[in-house]
Amino acid sequence: MAQAKKPNGGKDNFTRNLVIAVVVGVVLIMLVPTVLSKKSDTTAAIPSSVSVEDGYGMVFNKELTGVPFIEIYEDFQCPACARFESISGEYIEDLIKTKKAKVAFHMLSFLGSESQLAANAAACSADQGKFLEFHKTLYANQPAENSGAWSTQYLQTLSLGLGISSPDYDKCVQNQDYLGWVKNVAEEGAKRNVNSTPTVYINGKEIDRNKAYNSLAEFMLAVEKA
Amino acid sequence: MSKFSKAQPWLGLIARLVLGGVLFAAGYLKVGTLDKSQMAVRAYELLPISIANFLGVFLPFFEIAIGLLLILGAGTRIAAALGGLTMVVFIIAIAQAWARGLNIDCGCFGGGGAVEPGQTRYLQEILRDAGLAALALFLIRYPLTKFAVDKDPNRSNAGDVE
Repeated sequence: MAQAKKPNGGKDNFTRNLVIAVVVGVVLIMLVPTVLSKKSDTTAAIPSSVSVEDGYGMVFNKELTGVPFIEIYEDFQCPACARFESISGEYIEDLIKTKKAKVAFHMLSFLGSESQLAANAAACSADQGKFLEFHKTLYANQPAENSGAWSTQYLQTLSLGLGISSPDYDKCVQNQDYLGWVKNVAEEGAKRNVNSTPTVYINGKEIDRNKAYNSLAEFMLAVEKA
Repeated sequence: MSKFSKAQPWLGLIARLVLGGVLFAAGYLKVGTLDKSQMAVRAYELLPISIANFLGVFLPFFEIAIGLLLILGAGTRIAAALGGLTMVVFIIAIAQAWARGLNIDCGCFGGGGAVEPGQTRYLQEILRDAGLAALALFLIRYPLTKFAVDKDPNRSNAGDVE
């Protein structure tokens, strides 16, 4: 090579080995904490409606037995989740209010940082008893993925329309109080092999991917049969 | 000096930059959304879930490291061998998904997971990875290239290549 100055091959090897060591070292330094942070943090703060034994889901009608158990894995930024919400969301809300089903919402965040912000804010709204309203409103206002629309400020402003007046909500959104929970939910979803969103289980069995996600009638049928 | 031996270091440089660039970009695009990367690996339904989840985190970092080493030309032969091996593994994984009739995106550059039937692009993905594996083979056979950190051990004082 043109730039070889030293007649001594050992010197060149030193440069090469140094470059390799630096690259591999830096990548390892980034990888190790990342792998460790992927473990569930059992000390993370969780809203009172979250049930650890139900995979950190946001559970409604937890005390009911003998009713269908609907588990929903979703990401606030996922368009198919917004579609599912607009098709079957109202029905699910009715089931909760009339105590005809136990429902667990798992807010995943695989689409990135705005999903995490939104999931954290959803947990904050749960503390104010407004999770279902927040859930519906956020999907109704879904922007393009990670376009910067869902800032902490935006999520705080949303509270006005939901009738949340407590400053605790604003603080919770600002400080991302439930970020640990957001990561734990994601981790549980990964362990359960949830590979697309939305994924909905009724009594532990996934609903028919070809039918029940896009049709209210089919979804109602699946709930009735359970 | 034959035509080939004159062209080889330059061809090698191109091979290094293409293979290294693709690997680096693939890793870089995934490293910010590791949940999704884990999902993409699980969607192949090839590995136990815990191992797939680990690989989903490990792979983007691995790709970045190998990509950087190839771009710099440091340890070219080993980096190319590892990169080529990765491509072969990808080809096997994609081929088995295709053969089993799974409907997934390869998740090669972020994304991944289940897609609608008819939205799969298995053939293009396999051909691309086969092309990259061929570049890796070339670099394993001729690891000495232009503008690399690696030096020819036999000619470290010659100021010229082969």
